[in-house]
Amino acid sequence: MNPEIAVVRAGIIDLLPRLRRFARAITRNPEDADDLVQIAVENALTRSTQWQPGSRLDSWMFRIMKNAWIDEVRARDRRDRVFAPEAAGEHIGVSVTDTQIDSLTVQAAMQQLSEDQRMAIGLVLIEGLSYQEAAAVLEVPIGTLTSRIARGREALQAILADDARRRK
Amino acid sequence: MTFSDETLMAYADNELDANARAAVDAALANDPDLVRRVARQRALLSSLRAAFDPVLDEPVPERLIQAALGKPAATPSGSDPVHTAVIDLAQVRVSRQKTQPARPQRWRTWAALAATLIVGVIAGRLGTRVSPPSQVAVRDGHLVAGAVLARALSDQLARTQRADAAVKIGLSFVARSGEFCRTFTLAADHAAGLACKDDQTWRVQLLAEAAASAGSDTGAYHQAASEMPPVILESVNARIVGDPLDAEAENSARRRGWRR
Repeated sequence: MNPEIAVVRAGIIDLLPRLRRFARAITRNPEDADDLVQIAVENALTRSTQWQPGSRLDSWMFRIMKNAWIDEVRARDRRDRVFAPEAAGEHIGVSVTDTQIDSLTVQAAMQQLSEDQRMAIGLVLIEGLSYQEAAAVLEVPIGTLTSRIARGREALQAILADDARRRK
Repeated sequence: MTFSDETLMAYADNELDANARAAVDAALANDPDLVRRVARQRALLSSLRAAFDPVLDEPVPERLIQAALGKPAATPSGSDPVHTAVIDLAQVRVSRQKTQPARPQRWRTWAALAATLIVGVIAGRLGTRVSPPSQVAVRDGHLVAGAVLARALSDQLARTQRADAAVKIGLSFVARSGEFCRTFTLAADHAAGLACKDDQTWRVQLLAEAAASAGSDTGAYHQAASEMPPVILESVNARIVGDPLDAEAENSARRRGWRR
């Protein structure tokens, strides 16, 4: 193993918890999320020489994950024309605590955003990237990123407010 | 001055440049509606973090670690997959602390300093006008409100307080901890702070120098910032649940002795 691959491997292991969190934010369930992380890790290792030492490994990994997810979504869209989409809300149990309900509500609200908005919100609000960094990961102009963040935020606030009213 | 939702989102995301940020900070000092709108943006941020951050504490599935090591999930004979996984998980856990993205630390918060040091700083500013223990005191290692400050925190209402009161109350709100908290300014000391009520006392969470507003001090900004420094507002936004109390809720909280 050459030294650079070793650095990338070690870096990726360090990043796994965050990669899983980002994947959880953009996919529909925990199984899909870990599948996505695994695909991204494998893709990253096959092209580890493309990573520039000294640049941000997290941004590079997020970009690879974004590309893998877009491929997956396209493949699903093709499948969904044949099969009915899975029922929403299947992960909501009955005897869960308030915190879990809140988390599930927020996670369900995320599902209602567009893929683009969800990735933007995931990178900036959940992963803490700057607008500039997130725009680079998503390979879009900063103005596009900013408007995805704004519309995503508005949509989430509307969904969560609506949900809170219904539960009262 | 009015601000668009986009501007307030960028403010909440720490994306405004220094001038735009200063403008929002200055306006926040005397615009409760703006405080509510910023709090709304911050609340969404906290909800998202609360929903997804627990993933960081979950054990990482072995298959992912194996993938990162470039090994097939089914380990060939001769090695002990369970043992390997345990070691790697431990490494992941230890290294996790280092990979957390740090939100930029923009404000010097005095909360992190030793309570006695803060008292010293405040006492230095107070000079001979008021003796420090009447404003803040140290009890069991915590900074607590002294007699004058405690009385103001317990009795004064934002709407009816006198303009020349020694202690001016700003926002009152319920914190995540479940306690009532109130911001205050000490006019004579150019200091402002945040205090929360436990069973017995008003614990001072934060004290900041109100006169030291950041950047170039141009008239109005300086005046506004001296009312309530950004560090205090940041702290309010980080703690608040829902909206700040309105006059009626404030009065009702006072009647109950700031207990919930």
